[in-house]
Amino acid sequence: MPGPPQLLEALVGLLIPPACREEVLGDLHEQYTGLAHYVADALSTVPLVILSGIRRTTDFQVLLMEAFVLYLSFWGAAKFEDAAFLNDRLGLLRLAIPAATALVALMLEDAYAMPGKRGSLKAIRAPAFGLGMALVSQAVLSVGNPELTLPRWILWCGAGTGLLLVGGVRMRFPPLADRPQGASGPAFWLQQASGPMILSPGTLRFVKGAGLIAAAALFGALVGYQPVVRPQVLVLAAVVVAVYQVRKWKL
Amino acid sequence: MTAILTLRDDAYGVTIHAKVEELARPKTASLGAVYVTLDRLEDKGLVASWLSDPTPERGGRAKRYYRLEALGERALQESAITAKRIWDGIAEIWGKEWANEWGKRWGKEAG
Repeated sequence: MPGPPQLLEALVGLLIPPACREEVLGDLHEQYTGLAHYVADALSTVPLVILSGIRRTTDFQVLLMEAFVLYLSFWGAAKFEDAAFLNDRLGLLRLAIPAATALVALMLEDAYAMPGKRGSLKAIRAPAFGLGMALVSQAVLSVGNPELTLPRWILWCGAGTGLLLVGGVRMRFPPLADRPQGASGPAFWLQQASGPMILSPGTLRFVKGAGLIAAAALFGALVGYQPVVRPQVLVLAAVVVAVYQVRKWKL
Repeated sequence: MTAILTLRDDAYGVTIHAKVEELARPKTASLGAVYVTLDRLEDKGLVASWLSDPTPERGGRAKRYYRLEALGERALQESAITAKRIWDGIAEIWGKEWANEWGKRWGKEAG
């Protein structure tokens, strides 16, 4: 019995999360009786496999935290950049669109991550992808429904803050597939790579420092009721963090 | 889990799907639904799985075989006992003749 066309099989393979790609493609190949049957099988199988992958790789408590910090990032950016924006009839909804897009992209990134692969920037890669997709969604919206998009500065400030905050959440609560597994832990493919987490000390220090500077700058701007984060505040925050690091190093 | 138990050493996606369809007749189940269920059973520690070597009839791809774990066997036993209690309860109300007739009909279907 001939198999399905290679191009079609490759396309289906692209849609299936890598953790189960091998066996699902093999099963679909084995059940092949004709092109139409294969397409129908793939259409009924792939969405469920993706959903199952999302369920396996998503910790819904962490997802809730990420949703909160993402929305807070865009809300905070709007508050600082243009507080009148929040009184707009669709203002709060417009803030939710990039946050929701980033959240969905984060879930998909986790589901499609290669099981067992580790990298020092993994904690930042998923948020960067998620917020990148949020920016893309805004670009797409600006073509059809520009009234639903965010002003550029709110979008960029919100995305930057969201990147730092979601990265922080992910460092504290790594994705399920990256956590060391206990005896009662699930799933063979989650167990492939138990081991210590994630960032090298240098990268961790850099990310922590950048987060502290951003947090201090935002706090400074909030205290001074500045409409934007001014360079002086950023420099002051960087000096405070540097002094703190030097003192810690000497102690 | 019944499908995995009866298939013994040949329990992988395609055979489990076929067995589930046979057991669930006249209802049907999609291959995707079988994967979702297997994932959940594995996450709960009721079944375990491993990849075989690639085979040419599958386009050079491996099979993921499943087997029942001790916890899964216990859960299946409990389910079977529950099903038996339900069966006895219905037979008590609808009578032994009804139970015998359906028992024979199922026996014929199962061959």
